[in-house]
Amino acid sequence: MTSGPYNYSYIFKYIIIGDMGVGKSCLLHQFTEKKFMADCPHTIGVEFGTRIIEVAGQKIKLQIWDTAGQERFRAVTRSYYRGAAGALMVYDITRRSTYNHLSSWLTDTRNLTNPSTVIFLIGNKSDLDGQRDVTYEEAKQFADENGLMFVEASAKTGQNVEEAFLETAKKIYQSIQDGRLDLNAAESGVQHKPASPGRPLAAPPAARDHCAC
Amino acid sequence: MIFASKMPSLRIDQSDLKCKNGCDYFGNPQWQGYCSKCHRELLQRQRRAEKASSATLPKPEQKKPERGIKLASHSSFSKFEEKRLRQSETLKKANLLKFSVFKKSSTDEHDHTPERKPPEFKIPALINEGMKREFRVRFTNLPPQVDRDARVFVHSFIMDVIKCSNVMTVDELSERVQRHYQHFMKYMDTSPHFANAESEIKELLIDFVEKHAMTYLHDLPGVVFSPIGTEDERLDRAMSERIQQLSWVGEKHLECKLDRTDSACSQLLYKAISELLAVDGAAGPGGKLSRVRRACRHVLALCGASASADDLLPALIFTVLKANPPRLVSNINFVTRFCNAQRLMTGEGGYYFTNLCCAVSFIENLTAESLNMDKKEFDCYMAMPASIGGSTWAAALSLCGAAREAAEQRAAARALLADVATLRAEADLLAANADSFEKEIAFKVNDVLANTPLEIKPRREPLRLSSLRNSSIPLIDLETPVDTPAPMKPSEDIPQIKLPEIMPVEEPVTVTFDRTTDEKITQNIIDFQSLEKPSPPKSPQNQPWELKQTGSFELLTPSPLGFTPFDSRSIDELMTPDDFGSDHLAPGLSNINYDIDLSDFSGDNSLAEDTPKEPKDPFSPDGIKKEPVFDPFQPQTSQSSYKNVLEKFDEFSLIDSKSNETSEAFEVVHRTQDSCTPAAAEEPGDPFSPVQKEASILDDSGSPTSACLLPSPLQPQTR
Repeated sequence: MTSGPYNYSYIFKYIIIGDMGVGKSCLLHQFTEKKFMADCPHTIGVEFGTRIIEVAGQKIKLQIWDTAGQERFRAVTRSYYRGAAGALMVYDITRRSTYNHLSSWLTDTRNLTNPSTVIFLIGNKSDLDGQRDVTYEEAKQFADENGLMFVEASAKTGQNVEEAFLETAKKIYQSIQDGRLDLNAAESGVQHKPASPGRPLAAPPAARDHCAC
Repeated sequence: MIFASKMPSLRIDQSDLKCKNGCDYFGNPQWQGYCSKCHRELLQRQRRAEKASSATLPKPEQKKPERGIKLASHSSFSKFEEKRLRQSETLKKANLLKFSVFKKSSTDEHDHTPERKPPEFKIPALINEGMKREFRVRFTNLPPQVDRDARVFVHSFIMDVIKCSNVMTVDELSERVQRHYQHFMKYMDTSPHFANAESEIKELLIDFVEKHAMTYLHDLPGVVFSPIGTEDERLDRAMSERIQQLSWVGEKHLECKLDRTDSACSQLLYKAISELLAVDGAAGPGGKLSRVRRACRHVLALCGASASADDLLPALIFTVLKANPPRLVSNINFVTRFCNAQRLMTGEGGYYFTNLCCAVSFIENLTAESLNMDKKEFDCYMAMPASIGGSTWAAALSLCGAAREAAEQRAAARALLADVATLRAEADLLAANADSFEKEIAFKVNDVLANTPLEIKPRREPLRLSSLRNSSIPLIDLETPVDTPAPMKPSEDIPQIKLPEIMPVEEPVTVTFDRTTDEKITQNIIDFQSLEKPSPPKSPQNQPWELKQTGSFELLTPSPLGFTPFDSRSIDELMTPDDFGSDHLAPGLSNINYDIDLSDFSGDNSLAEDTPKEPKDPFSPDGIKKEPVFDPFQPQTSQSSYKNVLEKFDEFSLIDSKSNETSEAFEVVHRTQDSCTPAAAEEPGDPFSPVQKEASILDDSGSPTSACLLPSPLQPQTR
């Protein structure tokens, strides 16, 4: 399914969550295509929200899923969370209501992802500082209390967007290195693609009979 | 074999309709062309014969010769494959059907004897053949060992799944399948055969393996697709009914921005719907996923260029509601359980499939709240019979089409309304313009009037009168008591006062010069009088006249035209001396005579002309009467006189406005008079009238007193 000229060692799955209209799609677009498109943010283009980055010399393919933020879909969007290695939680610094909903988003994320999932809080639209409705300090405190990484970013200018994605990837990679993240778990959200084949198995796995009977 | 070959065909020939045993009952393809009775008998016979197969054989297919080919050990796999290549497709079908029997018979039997399985079924050669062919096309660079490994894997995979499907729950089976995928991936990573393969090739390979294995398993009833022991089928029906019930849900309820009136949009919707419907037809999870992916791409395009996940999900829900794809739950569960989990969690297909899962889950749990609707309204909608939309997806589609049509018409109506509105606005604008124009004109007119406030009469008259006075003052003294002044006074306010002066002047002077000038003046004055309706306010002396006139008018009215009165009077005046003393007593008769005398008008004129000898008598009444007579005149001569007068007025006014000097005004007056006289001369009566007037004025001195009396006509007549 994934085609591209790049070889990569890992695939990290991210999800972007947050209220409707906080700029989730714009952030994704800014990151994957490095530009802000006010009018035509193809959330899921042909490339489908992927970008290959490099962390500690390892090529990592980020697979980012945008999600629907409407309140009415909250109950049914749990399947998005499945197997996410990173969750970018986005609010709009110009709309306090989007900030107030963060705790419920956080609860969802904690409940629906595995403990090693990295959650990154992003205060979007930092370019609209004049209309700010949520102070940096307040959000920073919230992030610290909940053990989240936090940054204010602007999908429009691109400020801090790259950093948010990269920091998340670094943290995930660190978790892998620390062994906190089990690569073999289906829900880890990380796929490891060894660049070179390891030692060959004695027999093809199909030859073995796992039947219980 | 015969049956087997026949079974797959959907065509029914005439021969197929009758029972094959030759009894008159109709056969049924499900009963292999036998009628129910014969079929049952046949079944029983076969069952007795096939005691080896333990379970009950509910279907005829099971009687087919056993194709069971012992599963070869992996070492001899290739040999078996060679054999299988020669096997026909019908063989495969037969095996498939047999397998289903086997599976059913052994469902949930955990103590199932393992020995039986190998002989029970075999993997059709077609799969291996197809794999081989496709492998050659897709992986040209890979060594043949990879091909073989893949086929071996698929074979063992299928065998394992089939074996385990009987003894494991679906979830266990799913887990087991996933483990198989992982094993194969690990094998690819470690096997020297795959040493040169890129990770992408490996992904393609795992897809390839999954596709072929699952395509085969998918078609086995009750194994992986809506497996026995699950409620998938029931859930499918429930979901289908639910979607039917929700056919009223529109894009408005879901707050997705779809423009149904746009034909491109509806095309995309149709494409998305058809892709969703095709999900059921695709065999493997990969095929289903790609269908979902294509459907979602259409849906995304449907949302417009600026679509995001916020837009995709509602639109996808809408599309699912309109499509009502068959076996939706089964398909979703199948993909969820047996698709390579790694791929399901990443990649475009996985993402869209996740969205589809969300959409289905939303539809399952849909409430009034989730549509932002009133609970009562929601319940009313849900109480609507589900059959309204028809029982199939086609009905949903037709609904969709009808709605689109309605939307198109609504849009057309809206456009018409807009046109009407613009027209109305333009009309209003026009009206406003007209109003403003009117006002502007009115304003301008007023402005002009204000700038040129000309009270013609007062200015004129004083000039004239003053001139008249100058000439008349001495004359007035001569004859103050004359009749004429009296009638003049009431008729004209300012001038009247002067007129009496004038009149007396004329009368006493009797000099031709004076007369002419006076006459001219009087003419003018008379004209004024005529304009200003001199008759009614006339002096009491004249009032009887008026009465008479009115009387004569009334009498004359039957006879047409304003002519008659004048004529009659003139005639009266002319004729009075001749006869009609009696007639005068009876005015009606006199009137009649007057009518007759109309033709004699010229003669009268001639008479009048002849009368210069006695200008006073005939003309005197005229002259006197002229003042009153002018009323009747108005229709005829008055018009001409009017014109003259008007012309004079104009001239007067202009001159007056320019300069208030009396001298100029006089000159003008004279000119006008000159001009008037010719104009008057044109008319038959007018030319005479001046003459007559001269005479009349003269006459007035003699007879006017009598004429001024009520029966002025009578008096002359009496004479």
